[in-house]
Amino acid sequence: MTERPDPATSPEAGSAPEVQATAEVLAGLVSAAADGDEFAWAELVRRYTPLVLSVIRSHRLNRTDAADVHQTVWLRLVEHLGRVREPAALATWLATTTRRECYRLVRVGRRTQPFDPLDDVEASIGALLPPDLTAPDENLLRAERRQALRDGFGQLPARCRELLSLLVADPPTSYREIAERLGMPIGSIGPSQARCLRKLRNSPALAAFVGASSDAEGSGGDRDGAVAAGR
Amino acid sequence: MGQWPPADDDALLRELGEALRDPGPPPEEFLAAGYAAFSWRTVDAELALAELTFDSACDPEPAGMTRSAGSARALAFHAGPVVVAIEVTGTGIVGQISPARSGRVLVRTPRGPYEEVPVDAVGFFSLGPPPSGPVQLHARTSDYAVATSWVSLR
Repeated sequence: MTERPDPATSPEAGSAPEVQATAEVLAGLVSAAADGDEFAWAELVRRYTPLVLSVIRSHRLNRTDAADVHQTVWLRLVEHLGRVREPAALATWLATTTRRECYRLVRVGRRTQPFDPLDDVEASIGALLPPDLTAPDENLLRAERRQALRDGFGQLPARCRELLSLLVADPPTSYREIAERLGMPIGSIGPSQARCLRKLRNSPALAAFVGASSDAEGSGGDRDGAVAAGR
Repeated sequence: MGQWPPADDDALLRELGEALRDPGPPPEEFLAAGYAAFSWRTVDAELALAELTFDSACDPEPAGMTRSAGSARALAFHAGPVVVAIEVTGTGIVGQISPARSGRVLVRTPRGPYEEVPVDAVGFFSLGPPPSGPVQLHARTSDYAVATSWVSLR
């Protein structure tokens, strides 16, 4: 069999205690789905689609190829359900299968396009992330804030988005490389960063958030005033 | 909880990086495609699964393998003693099943049947160009019936 999981490159290598705590639940879902339980299958799809997508993003496929890989991976899991009983093995199997299918499409070379940091910032810095298993409340607040940051980022001028995406890239981009890629003097990167972050704080997506959270903390007037003045 | 967004530029930049690396909830159409895959669980339960064992697009060429043309993409699927071997070019697919038997080969997409052709007495068959996206071949003979793994052929 060519689809053997590779533990060394598994996203769960050195798995956290939370992963083990949910192992039983996942084993239950997998065996229920293998027995034909549609709800268990839907739950597996909801839990692991982010993992599959994170692997796809790291290969920088276009949306059509991404959709094809994603569909192929879930069709393959349907074929393999009866053989995947251990949840840790499931995550590894999904990541490995996704990686192989991405590689296949890249090699077949159809419809792939060069990546453009202006269009596709998410893809440019996407990384292989394990499934998120933190507490739901904390998740919700963090998810809201992250969505607000992404929305605010999307409202920035292209030049700011380009600069900030280079500044937050992992691994980090050097100032020299940023200066070269953006055709700007190294000395102006710092001031440009400060200006772009100010615009981000003042973007409609974050301004709404600032108003709501500062009211709750009883210091709304100052912040709102500062935000308004900054525009 | 502290002030948010953070007044400190480094902290804001760090949170922005985390936000951009976290792509948010998956698009609904991706989830829908995942849910829909389950409907294939029982459709062809009587067919043995022929697993993809070789794809010239991404696997090293096995020694002694013969191919008709350098530009063709070759794939092989195995289900026990049954082998489905195909070559994909711009003009279509040619393939052979072994042990050699006459029968039928069907190309399926996740939306349904796409093309069906006869298999001759020595196991050869030929198909038109495949659709884009994952497909699966069904090969049925008097002696065996197999379904290949899903794979994108172009």
